[in-house]
Amino acid sequence: MFEFVVGHYNYWMYIGLMMIGFYAMMAKRNLIKKIIGMNIFQSAIILFYISASVKKGGVTVPILEHAHGGHGADHAVDVMQYANPLPHVLMLTAIVVMVATLGVAVAVCIMIYRRYNTLEEDEIIMSIKRG
Amino acid sequence: MKALSLITGLLVGAGLIYGTLDMPKWGDPHSAASTHVSPYYLHHSLEHTATPNVVTSVLADYRGYDTLGETTVIFTAGMACLLLLRRGRSR
Repeated sequence: MFEFVVGHYNYWMYIGLMMIGFYAMMAKRNLIKKIIGMNIFQSAIILFYISASVKKGGVTVPILEHAHGGHGADHAVDVMQYANPLPHVLMLTAIVVMVATLGVAVAVCIMIYRRYNTLEEDEIIMSIKRG
Repeated sequence: MKALSLITGLLVGAGLIYGTLDMPKWGDPHSAASTHVSPYYLHHSLEHTATPNVVTSVLADYRGYDTLGETTVIFTAGMACLLLLRRGRSR
C-alpha cells in the first residue's frame, strides 16, 4: 500500500493542479483569472507527460554521449541510460500551442476591456443586455 | 454556480484518480511509454540524423512537418493578436 502511494502520488499532484485550474476556469468571474486557470490546467498536463518520461536509476537527459567520436553507428546505445525523449518532444509542441492560446486570449481580453471597461463577466453580460 | 463547478471539478478529478490506479509507477523503466517506440529513436537517431540530442532530432527531423505546422500556429496567433489590438476604426 505504501509503495503504491509512493509510486503514484505524482499523478495525484498533477490531478490536483488540474482540478484547481479547471475550477478557476469554470467558477471565476474575472476573465484574467480564467486565463490563469487555463494556464494552470495546461501546466498540469505538461508536468504529467514529463513525469511519464522519467526512468529511475542513473538516467540522464536524452543527449547521446560519445556521439562525436567514430560517428556513432558502431556503438550501441543503452536505452536504460537515457530518459524517454518522446514526451519531451510532444510537450515542446504543447508549450507552443499554450503560448499561442495565451497570447490570443490576452489580446481578446484587452479588446473586451476597451469596449466594456471591465473584465468581470457578469458586468459584461449586464452591459450587453442593457444594449 | 460555484457549487456546481466545484462538484464538476471534483467528479472529473475522482475519475482521473480512478484512472491512475492502473498507471505504471513513477520512474518505472519498463513502463509502456518507454518500451515500445522510444527505444527505436534512441538507437537509430544518431545514424539517421547525426544529431546527439534525441529531442532535437525527433522534433526537427522525424517530426519536421509537424514543427513546420507549429510555425503556422504561431503565425496565426501573432496575426490574430495584431488584428485584434490594431488601433483604428473599431471602438
